[in-house]
Amino acid sequence: MNNEQAKFILRAYRPGGRDAGDATFGDALRQAQADPTLGAWFAREQSFDATVAAKLRVVTPPPELREAILAGTRVSFSPARPHWRLPAWLAAAAALAVVITGVATYRLIVAGRSPAGLDRIAAFALVDPESAHTGPQASRLGAFGAWLQNPMNRISSGPPADLAQLKTKGCRAVSVAGQEVFEICFQRDGGWYHLYLTRREPAGTGGRSPVFREEGGRSVVAWADDRLAYVLMTGGGGVEALRRIL
Amino acid sequence: MGSDTFTQLVDANYASLYRFALSLTRNQADACDLAQQTFFIWATKGQALRDLSKAKAWLFTTLYREFLRGRRRSGRATALEDLPPDEAEPPAPEVDRIAALDAQIVLAALQDVDEVFRAPLTLFYLEDLAYHEIAEALGIPVGTVMSRLSRGKTQLRTILAQRDQAARDNLISFSAQKGRRTP
Repeated sequence: MNNEQAKFILRAYRPGGRDAGDATFGDALRQAQADPTLGAWFAREQSFDATVAAKLRVVTPPPELREAILAGTRVSFSPARPHWRLPAWLAAAAALAVVITGVATYRLIVAGRSPAGLDRIAAFALVDPESAHTGPQASRLGAFGAWLQNPMNRISSGPPADLAQLKTKGCRAVSVAGQEVFEICFQRDGGWYHLYLTRREPAGTGGRSPVFREEGGRSVVAWADDRLAYVLMTGGGGVEALRRIL
Repeated sequence: MGSDTFTQLVDANYASLYRFALSLTRNQADACDLAQQTFFIWATKGQALRDLSKAKAWLFTTLYREFLRGRRRSGRATALEDLPPDEAEPPAPEVDRIAALDAQIVLAALQDVDEVFRAPLTLFYLEDLAYHEIAEALGIPVGTVMSRLSRGKTQLRTILAQRDQAARDNLISFSAQKGRRTP
């Protein structure tokens, strides 16, 4: 091995690295000890590497990033049901929601970009572990509930929802992407649906044209009108079931 | 995976992942998105990984793949045939001078290294992964990692020398202007 070959190997040597003891480096290290010129070059190389690595370690993530990643735990994990008792798929969904909310929250509070929008709420609805009919039944929500359950009404025509009223009636509210989202469960033709509503303005990017998504046996459609943004989810029947009542 | 384990996984890795993402994307917001997207994918697919000791390598691999996916979408991927030619090793600025540079300047220099060299170089300096893991994460043989590392360091030296010189020139220029204004 000549010195140029030894240099090639030694450039990759990290004294604190997990492969510092690798046999690949053995001969080159011995050569650096024996050859003063190579040894001096190696010392400079190590010093350079240590300095750059130290500079890189100084770069810290925005302080909100960690919380943004973890923020969804407050939404995803039911306090009444410890996460370790959840079925595996539900736990996975909860973890997924952690990150979804994290991404969206980060975008709101750190990056200063436009709010995450309907796609985040749709993503949340696809994995929402508490959407197993835990929201208030539509029948308890008066005229709005009756409207939802009436097979003559197309959901996309604009449900007569009053968010302030929903709040007073104990409708489930979750925070997704930093905005308050209400969830209502209702039945049509024997199938269960979950409607997520939020104010249009914070949702921002929500489009008027319905956008469908399917994932993990769940289907969602997202759209918005002048006042509100909506995500409709069903666990059975797929996109067709959504189209039938949309 | 419970929330405690997930929190531990985030705490152990999010800073390094962010630094790696920042070197790749050169943009703080995109780096944050990439780091979060990585944990998002962990939540959906990482559960299948039985050996949690491999979680770190999995996360770095996933982050890099997501970065490449984004690059392909934007049509800005660097093809291997676009690799710049070998450069002779330039005289590096004195280590003391690099140490005196602001971390952001060193990071910016690292971000200016060609992408194909930047990824292994950043992973080298982060010291989170062994060589075979870096090779797996980047989808290249270990020998290629070492080769790109060597060339990446050469580029980094050149860029740091230029930054160092520019910083000195500015300092001289500033001193000269200040001198002229002195009555």
